[in-house]
Amino acid sequence: MDALIVIFLTGLIGLFIGMLKKPHLNLGVTLLGLIIAFFLQLYHGYYTSPFINYQVLEFEVSGLYFSLLAIGFSILIVLGGYRYFKRDANHTGDYYGLLLFSLCGAIILIGFTDLFMFFLGLEILSIPIYVMVGIKKQDVLSAEASIKYFFTGAFATAILLFGIALLYGATGSFNLNEIRTVIQSGEYQSSYLLIGILFILGAFLFKVGAVPFHFWGPDVYQGSPEIVTAFMATVVKLSALFAFYRFFNGTFQELANFWTGALYFAIALSLLIGYIGALKQSKFKRLLAYSSISNTGYALFVLLSTSNSSLGSLWIFLVGYGCATIALLTLSMAIQNDNDEISAFKGVGFKNPFIGFILIISLLSLAGIPPLTGFFGKFSLLMNAYPQHLYLVILALISSLVGAFLYLRLIVLGLSKESESERVTIGLWHYIVLGICAAGILGAWLIVTI
Amino acid sequence: MNSVDPTFATSIDFYVILASILFVIGAFGVLIRRNMIVLLMCIELMLNAVNLLLVAFSTYYGKGDAQIFVFFIIVVAAAEATIGLSILIMAYRNNKATDAGLFKNLNG
Repeated sequence: MDALIVIFLTGLIGLFIGMLKKPHLNLGVTLLGLIIAFFLQLYHGYYTSPFINYQVLEFEVSGLYFSLLAIGFSILIVLGGYRYFKRDANHTGDYYGLLLFSLCGAIILIGFTDLFMFFLGLEILSIPIYVMVGIKKQDVLSAEASIKYFFTGAFATAILLFGIALLYGATGSFNLNEIRTVIQSGEYQSSYLLIGILFILGAFLFKVGAVPFHFWGPDVYQGSPEIVTAFMATVVKLSALFAFYRFFNGTFQELANFWTGALYFAIALSLLIGYIGALKQSKFKRLLAYSSISNTGYALFVLLSTSNSSLGSLWIFLVGYGCATIALLTLSMAIQNDNDEISAFKGVGFKNPFIGFILIISLLSLAGIPPLTGFFGKFSLLMNAYPQHLYLVILALISSLVGAFLYLRLIVLGLSKESESERVTIGLWHYIVLGICAAGILGAWLIVTI
Repeated sequence: MNSVDPTFATSIDFYVILASILFVIGAFGVLIRRNMIVLLMCIELMLNAVNLLLVAFSTYYGKGDAQIFVFFIIVVAAAEATIGLSILIMAYRNNKATDAGLFKNLNG
């Protein structure tokens, strides 16, 4: 809770500092607040009890780990985007403020105990992002992405609320634990409950961006600024996946036979459509959006397993995926790829060996090549589901092959000898962000293995 | 199981049917209408269908918590409408139209 308050206050202060039009001061304050929040959360994880209950929010060990990840990713995104704000100093304060408010929503979404907090968290997460997507006011693409994200997002919210209302009608409670007790006792109105679960499942698939509700993803990712794309692809996805897990593997566990079929369908299609759609893209952010659809498919494997270790697998998978995504988008910002063409990456790795190294390890990690974090995440997620869901695991391996082809093509492009630009130089902060991402990709799996 | 208000127990289905019809009208409106202001109205209709459903269930169970939830939904719907309208104005400045079909720059 105190981390949440620190983040919220930092956002508020950031909005006021934004009026001074001093981007560096704004960046410093935002980073300071985020780092304080990070260590507060870390302190709670290690020195106080592993289970914190604030009546409306509670963080178990897994919740603390996931919220640490959300704050950490936000720090990297803010740092990596510092040069972006230099270019338009008018909106700097708005950017940082909205990003921090959205992060508050993400942390609430990780720690909710009842549907009140869940709904509020989801809205606090979504509403600032509707604005952030469209923050380049003169840009036609940005406006279009904002419109598309707003209408599909509001539609999904309405569907989710209808599901929640039916869930309340079936069980008579908003508290997740009470709902679970009622479901276990069997005294519920079964038709309301089942329809409600389907509505909630649909809304969640929308929020994490899985097929059949993925259509908004590529458009919105392409239209929004890189820094917002990175936030949506990592922090939003992470918190929505964790809430998804708590709903379906916690509360609705007894009804697994009912929803597993629909989830099967969603995972299988996500795995295939994501990578196959990515093959024909020429815009970089669009390609990343399609690849993130497939990665969501892998992450959703966590819902199929009943073992306790599956959240650990999801965490390590998300570390690998998030670090690689942030590294790639930071690179795209650093080489000033304004038109968002993949061809802008041609030869950058050859001109600057550090960029080449980052490009290779982040793409190999996304492709799932050992011994990088992405491999261990995918491997343990699939192993958790292995005996019961054999066909889905085989499908995941096939889709991995398609993905490997996609990512290897990018590596070849990045390391080719002829280059678009003469020299590639990137800023000091970019080096720091890329270094941290590289450390995460190379070494984060050690945390879980030890 | 929660205690159920006996005078209300038989008629709850009618409220559910009414709310469902309103919700479906709103959802169809979002799917088939092209004017974005009408889209916003349709989304409001869906949210209000949910409000009706929650209030009905709240009376059914004789508990007040769903009515508090309704207030939350009203507040969030107001925030969402504000953001939606301001995004719409921004899009109007770029496009000089409120027709959702004109947004075709992002595809593939």
